[in-house]
Amino acid sequence: MDPQLELKNVTKRFGGVAAVDGVTFAIGKGEILGVIGPNGAGKTTLLNCISGVYRLDDGDVRWQGASIAGLAPFRVARLGIGRTFQIVKPFTSMTVRENVVAGALFGSDEERPRLGAAFGRADSVLELVGLRSKADLPVSALTIPDRKRLEVARAVATRPKLLLLDEVMAGLNSVEIDDALEMVRAVHESGVTVVLIEHVMRVIVGVCARVVVLDVGRVLADGPPDVVLRDERVIQAYLGERYARRLRGS
Amino acid sequence: MAAFAQLVIIGLLAGGIYAAVGVGFGLVWGVLNIVNLAHGALVIIGAYLTWQMFAVWGVDPFLTLPIDAIALFVLGYAVQRGVINRIIRAPLLFTFLLTFGLNLIAVNVLLLIFKSDFRSVTTAYSGAGLELGGLVIPYIRLAALGIALVMAAVLAILLSRTRVGLAIQAVGSDRDAAQLVGIDLRHAYAVTFGLGAAVAGVAGGMIAMIQAITPTAGEPYTLQAFVVVILGGLGRVSATVVGGLVFGLVEAFGQSIPGSGSVFANAIAFGVMVLILVTRPQGLMGRLR
Repeated sequence: MDPQLELKNVTKRFGGVAAVDGVTFAIGKGEILGVIGPNGAGKTTLLNCISGVYRLDDGDVRWQGASIAGLAPFRVARLGIGRTFQIVKPFTSMTVRENVVAGALFGSDEERPRLGAAFGRADSVLELVGLRSKADLPVSALTIPDRKRLEVARAVATRPKLLLLDEVMAGLNSVEIDDALEMVRAVHESGVTVVLIEHVMRVIVGVCARVVVLDVGRVLADGPPDVVLRDERVIQAYLGERYARRLRGS
Repeated sequence: MAAFAQLVIIGLLAGGIYAAVGVGFGLVWGVLNIVNLAHGALVIIGAYLTWQMFAVWGVDPFLTLPIDAIALFVLGYAVQRGVINRIIRAPLLFTFLLTFGLNLIAVNVLLLIFKSDFRSVTTAYSGAGLELGGLVIPYIRLAALGIALVMAAVLAILLSRTRVGLAIQAVGSDRDAAQLVGIDLRHAYAVTFGLGAAVAGVAGGMIAMIQAITPTAGEPYTLQAFVVVILGGLGRVSATVVGGLVFGLVEAFGQSIPGSGSVFANAIAFGVMVLILVTRPQGLMGRLR
């Protein structure tokens, strides 16, 4: 598989603390990769390093072979790397549809749709994530699960080749998680490489063919979920004995 | 009754100017979260451009308005891009200090170029007005009100129906999310400030036709813009227009109270602002955020 995104020794320090410390791995085109790890392991920081929110202290991020370290966030987005935020950040002054239109209008360097075309694209993305019927509502009228859908829809509308999803399932109940899983699968099947940061193991096991475990800013394990989740170090650092017993029992 | 109607007309005509001054100020405040203390200076730069073109080159003052808009847009874009963008994430106090300083620079440059003499734009039609059953409506003020309303409508449409407008709304709503859908934050901010300055410039051009100007004449307009935006409610062009018209009406009626005159007009207008802030803090037409 072609490496689409390569992280080489990516390091980000805050003061003396390395939140991300020499992370190296690559993501192939069409993969769906889970990133897990305890709170404070540096998962979101790593996303911020990729999407240009943070400047790297060391290392390099390469996108389709070229370095993107140091690019402004909007340039990274236009290259085809979309992302969502753990705490959703909708444009509250706009309707649901307008939020997605904003993504469609500005997201890509290769294609600059006209306003009408952007509205059309927004509607098809809203269809994909199941928000079509709520397109004309103000954001404030949306429930939390729907706001998470909107966050994904806006990112998908930018026509990303790689989508970084930061805990889109957090705070959802199990029915809502099933719906959200369907949505992520649908997005992935439309040809987008997906990186999922997630705490919900069911999601990781359900959709990811590969999992990277972070702990104190370093890669602790990297491999298929059934191998990684049985790794003694991963159990110690993150999953805990109880989960491990349940996994063995099942 | 005639006196009442005359007051309403005076108030609305003055309100049109206030709206024109307030719209750009409100746009910059709402989107960039900058209370631009140099806004009045931008207004007066527009006024001097009109005066210069009229007095020196003999251009009709109404024809100078589009030129004011373009010149001030370029100036505003450059100031935001080169100066204000550097402190856009700094606390509010820094933007106060910076725009206060920009105001001082602008006023003193105007003093150097134009001296402190009063300048006015007096055309052949300056004194003329429409007489309606004993009421007199000056043509220039009527046109200014119309231009202010059209300008506000154009701006509102631009913000809601165009690519650049959606970018401005997006950065105003959440600058981090805006960047991550691919919006160039610095450019969007600079365009916003440029648009605010352009509207201020046109307002200034109209003010030059109505009153005598000096380089320091802009400062009251900063204050009035502030009141107008608070009165109407931050975040929408239409709200600022309503704020401007209401401010004009309150001022007109305040001046008409026997024994009041222009001395208390400001006190009454600001009193109304305080009253509205106490009873309706989101402004007359604002939505709570």
